[in-house]
Amino acid sequence: MIDVAGILMQNILYVILITLGGVLISWSVHFVPVGGAPAAMAQATGIGTGTVQLAAGAGLTGLVTAGAMMQITNNAALVIASGAVGAMIMMSVTMIVGTWVYAYGVGCPPASAKVKYDPITKDRQDLYVSQGTEGHGLPTVSYVSGVIGGALGGVGGSLVYYALMSIENGLPLADLVGIASVFAVGIFFVNAVIPSYNIGGTIEGFHDPKFKRFPKAVLASLIATFFCALISVLSIGGL
Amino acid sequence: MSAGGSGAAAEAIPQNNIMAFGVLGGLIGVYGAYFLVGMVGQYMSFIGALGAICGMVWGAAAVRRVASYGLGTGVPSIGMLALGMGVIAATFGLAVGGVAGPVVALVVAAIIGLMIGVLANKILKMGIPIMEVSMTEIATAGTITILGLSVAMTGTFDFPVVLSQVISTGYIAVIFIAGGLAILHPFNACLGPDEKQDRTLMCAVEKGSIAMIVAGIVATTNPNASGALTILIGIALWYVAFSGFYDRTKRDAYDVVGAGMLPSKEELE
Repeated sequence: MIDVAGILMQNILYVILITLGGVLISWSVHFVPVGGAPAAMAQATGIGTGTVQLAAGAGLTGLVTAGAMMQITNNAALVIASGAVGAMIMMSVTMIVGTWVYAYGVGCPPASAKVKYDPITKDRQDLYVSQGTEGHGLPTVSYVSGVIGGALGGVGGSLVYYALMSIENGLPLADLVGIASVFAVGIFFVNAVIPSYNIGGTIEGFHDPKFKRFPKAVLASLIATFFCALISVLSIGGL
Repeated sequence: MSAGGSGAAAEAIPQNNIMAFGVLGGLIGVYGAYFLVGMVGQYMSFIGALGAICGMVWGAAAVRRVASYGLGTGVPSIGMLALGMGVIAATFGLAVGGVAGPVVALVVAAIIGLMIGVLANKILKMGIPIMEVSMTEIATAGTITILGLSVAMTGTFDFPVVLSQVISTGYIAVIFIAGGLAILHPFNACLGPDEKQDRTLMCAVEKGSIAMIVAGIVATTNPNASGALTILIGIALWYVAFSGFYDRTKRDAYDVVGAGMLPSKEELE
């Protein structure tokens, strides 16, 4: 039987780091402009897919870039920065290509229905919102918000991965990478779905009134991730 | 009738029976494959995939029940959540449990699921009355799916083997998507005012048999498991389930008519 208390005491820092990473992921989802199915039909502002797919996309890209950086260095700051940049690039590319499709394919201007003026560019929004829709495309504020979300999600994802890889254990490197990735992905999905239920599936970014709900999701993620962190530290540390 | 967001779903088979089917079928499948591979021969590993299908059907039934209340977001999210919780619980259970691993994994999954259900209702205020029970069921069903498919791929649930043959090789990603699809897709595909429980669950069996075929293909690369029987049984099961699903679709549809070929250029002029 494994020494539960000993492993936990030895790795308490990593439990905290994983929990922090999960909370960051949960918070990051509130920044990402998710439009869901309505946005796919250009009837709501945001990217036309669900929260989980977007968060998973950004988070997994962050995980891959963080993993690539970990091959070269064990410096936590570099690994986390690499994860953040990877997720930001993925999110930016998704949003810019989405904007091209909305502008040149669907033929609608980016417009937010939640605010009258874009908080960043001060451009008028409500005049450009088509009747019967809740905005369309990705206005500047949503784009900036999405990049912030990508950065936070990438930091969170790579923090979880870095902490899992740093736990002391007797595994060969290839197996450690495998099990750390699996736990990181599991923790990522749990923390992507919790905020998705909190915002009811769609959000425009940090200017959306729904953004104010984030403390609830952060609290829920804190509790859930702490438990998942205990489990993952125990299983990796016990091997 | 069960449209997303309309409240409790009607069910011909009570959920408790499906729950028993999922837990018992899943555990019998996982342990049956584990012991029979040692006693009879490696080709018995297909029983693990049958256990996984029991778990998938249970998971799809639980998703159907909870998603009928309207989650506020797409049904796929809950399937990904199921596998996310399941993969954590399954890895932990196998890593610490030894022969009792699958049971430990199920207990841990139930605890994580219950916790997330309570968080969803108490903190996120989702207000779905069956959220706690359903989340527990979905997490456990996701764990059974992962365990069953892993056993079908490797012929054992000894952690070092699973770690090097399923997790490190990346086949866990296949399990994640194929198993998640079997849990989230049936209700997502069938939801609407004319949704019927047996049609949705038949779709789950059909998706599960695809996952079984995939597990069989992976098993051919593994010395401790045999893929041929898994693939054959998977194909047979897929055919039966797909015909059953198609029959039920025809039964529930008002009419099924052929649309004919696209009109040719001359006919259009």
